[in-house]
Amino acid sequence: MRTGARAFHRLNQQNSISPRLTIAAGLVALFVAIPLGYIFFRAVTGEPEVWQRLLQTRIWTLLGNTLLLVAAVTSGALVTGVSMAWITERTDLPGRGIFRWMLALPLAIPAYIGGILHLTLLRSRGGLIPQLLESLFGQPIPTPSPLGFWGAAFILTIFTYPYVYLLSAAAFRSLHASLEEAARTFGRTPWQTLWRVTLPALRPGLIAGALLVALDILAEYGTVALLRYETFSSAIFVQLSGRYDRSAASVLSGVLVTLAIVILWGELRLQGQARFTQMESNWRPAPRHGLGKWKLPAFLLILGVISASLLVPVSVLAAWSIGAFLDPKTLASVFRTGSQGFGSFAWNSLWSSGLAAILAVTLSLPVALLSVRYPNRFSRFISRFCQVGYAIPGVVIALSLVLLVNRLLPFLYATPLVVVIAYVLRHMPQAVRASESALGQLSPSLEEAARTLGRTSLQTLFQITLPLVLPGLLAGGALVFLTSLKELPATLLLRPAGFDTLAVRVWVWAEDGFYMQAAPAALLLVLVSAIPLSFLLRREQVFK
Amino acid sequence: MIRKRVFFALLVAAMLLSACGAPAATQVPAVTEAASATEPSLATEAPVVEVSGNLVVYSGRSEPLIQPLMDAFKAKYPNVEVLLKAGKNSELANALLEEKTNPQADIFITTELFTVQSLAQQGVFQSYLPVGAENLPAEFIGPGNAWIGLTRRARVIMYNTELVSPGEAPTSIFDLTDPKWKGRIAAAGSTNGSMQAQIAVMRQLLGEPATEEWLNGLLANEAAFLGGHTDVRKAVGAGEFQIGLVNHYYYYLQQAEGSKVGIVFPDQGEGQIGLITNATAAGIVNGAPNPAAAQAFMDFLISAEGQKLFTELNYEYPLLPGVEIHSEVQPLSDFRLADVNVAQSALEFDATFDLIERIGLP
Repeated sequence: MRTGARAFHRLNQQNSISPRLTIAAGLVALFVAIPLGYIFFRAVTGEPEVWQRLLQTRIWTLLGNTLLLVAAVTSGALVTGVSMAWITERTDLPGRGIFRWMLALPLAIPAYIGGILHLTLLRSRGGLIPQLLESLFGQPIPTPSPLGFWGAAFILTIFTYPYVYLLSAAAFRSLHASLEEAARTFGRTPWQTLWRVTLPALRPGLIAGALLVALDILAEYGTVALLRYETFSSAIFVQLSGRYDRSAASVLSGVLVTLAIVILWGELRLQGQARFTQMESNWRPAPRHGLGKWKLPAFLLILGVISASLLVPVSVLAAWSIGAFLDPKTLASVFRTGSQGFGSFAWNSLWSSGLAAILAVTLSLPVALLSVRYPNRFSRFISRFCQVGYAIPGVVIALSLVLLVNRLLPFLYATPLVVVIAYVLRHMPQAVRASESALGQLSPSLEEAARTLGRTSLQTLFQITLPLVLPGLLAGGALVFLTSLKELPATLLLRPAGFDTLAVRVWVWAEDGFYMQAAPAALLLVLVSAIPLSFLLRREQVFK
Repeated sequence: MIRKRVFFALLVAAMLLSACGAPAATQVPAVTEAASATEPSLATEAPVVEVSGNLVVYSGRSEPLIQPLMDAFKAKYPNVEVLLKAGKNSELANALLEEKTNPQADIFITTELFTVQSLAQQGVFQSYLPVGAENLPAEFIGPGNAWIGLTRRARVIMYNTELVSPGEAPTSIFDLTDPKWKGRIAAAGSTNGSMQAQIAVMRQLLGEPATEEWLNGLLANEAAFLGGHTDVRKAVGAGEFQIGLVNHYYYYLQQAEGSKVGIVFPDQGEGQIGLITNATAAGIVNGAPNPAAAQAFMDFLISAEGQKLFTELNYEYPLLPGVEIHSEVQPLSDFRLADVNVAQSALEFDATFDLIERIGLP
């Protein structure tokens, strides 16, 4: 009887917030907050002349450029992503199963690698396609230039639409047939039904996808630098290679982060209270539309998208890689740059991204446990706060770490660990979201049962909770791994001498115009990225 | 359940692997730092001290332009691990200033003299006169031996001979603002050290208003400012642009790739400013973790062997007398050179950045 009472007592205790957990989650939030706070501090305390100089010259142009690109790419990605999802999920187009994969796989190709490829294919006169046309027709044929705003918008659209595609495909998939049927019964045309019923029901997924795209574009460095379109991220880089003064870069970073936070806040407002609840009990999939004579256009449309975003880039990379392997001189420099071999770049990429994934998932646990098991204003705040990393571009994280680590932790400075810390800070939100969703699906009654049977809270965590949510945590880890592998700006700024990753190698070679030399590393990067990506995709209902 | 165990085992394995990887990579600097505490006094007095450990080189010269030298050095000193961080001059200069209390690099190499000069004024370098430096022209040795020059390069105009005839090609950098070349010119952007240096020199020779007018003329002429000179030379070689403003060796490198390109050493006429030249330079960082290796590397860079590599592989003008220039390269003695005061330009380098920013040079 007495033991029963004790167990009961303990159970009650468990429902009040555990101080250890709170402290752990608080520390994680603090860890995330430091670089952000430091950049704001530097920006706000920046000398008035710096602000004045930037306000007079740069900030407005940069703001215009950046917002224009964000708007163009986000709408481009929405149109492409939703239309592709509609074709693969709601029509009877043959080959849907394969197209689904091919439409999602461009996520494994970093946009800057795609940019390099399209640039070498398309640039006027110098590009392979214009040269081919010239030799065919005997005179230069004008082709669209991949440079500048339109080029950047095009390249970034074809490499970011998969975010929207994945989310809207899942939404189309789970849409109840009766929703559209009801609309049709009330006399709506199919077109009206699409606009009035289907798309609004997709809204949460679309907004989430648009948010990912928009934040990605804000943080994008490689592609815009390559295609010579100046945004905040690339301007910060330019500042760092200009005068011997980092306050201007800090000011620009402060403005950029504010912009990102406004977008993040906008998403929260837009998502708002809108909830679309569907009855699970009599769910059945909506019927597919027969495409009829539209089959060929739809097929060509999909083919166009996957050619530009997957087939052409991968084939060109493969062709160049073969070229590099056939040319002994290029081959030698691919495999050995000074004392650094190809293996060491690959290994650096793998271990730094892997360690970042493990750390991010571990650190996300207290935050997720707190917000899922003890939902209240405070735990929600901590959880939201830890997701701010989404909004801090890599270049800003790198800048704050350079300044902070050198002052406070000089022994860590210029070690690969700082690169790993940057990955963790930048990609923590993905780990937090994955851990929260994994824990949310686990009924607390299992943990309570363990506690009733006399396990301590730590024992419960390690013996019950963690083993059960492990697949979900691994998914979060895979996501962090994938995005860290592709990360460029923070790695470029923070890497110690002699520490090169695949992404850095590709960039260094390509920036100097040695595309063939860069190809094998780029191809390997894409192939390695495809592994965690396909693991993630297999978890999605759409790909089962 | 078995599947979960496997997952967990994988996770643990991954953790162990990463744990092995991380310390191995991070321990290295710690070891060399400890070693360096005892070495400097030995190194200066007894050059026979064994040269080993890591040599960290920050280089404004891009990787392909410094790697062959590092490989040759490594062949001579197999116990030295040469680690390179290549970037833009000012980006690395910023890092060096940031690291003054916590030095990471042993050597800094730039593509112009103003950056080393202004870093020297801020105490970033330690004094070292490499073996054989007494043979270099005095103007290429920094005040207090803080830095030494390595090679010289000239700012030239290259053009695509299929699109521009030799008679038509511009003979002055001021011809580049002629509307006739609108949309046909490529140059390196404002983050490029050689371009920054050219602007600094022009400011000194012609004053700010004339320089600003020239830059605005380039902008009005829709000159394309590309990421780097390799990009420029390839674009001119392919005919994407007709004219490129580059360092002289980019013309020779492009020609060696079989492109039909021509070169103009500009501004040789009466009353014109003359050929703008600059020099690459190197200095040993104050508090360098491995000064012995840094000194050996400096010695090597200005040795006949090192200088020959710069000339043979990259067509640069050697500074060491007696080293032959590449047979295809026209000697600098054929030209009238612009008269540059390095110390003065370095002092005004900040004003150059102000100018670049004010007119919004990409």
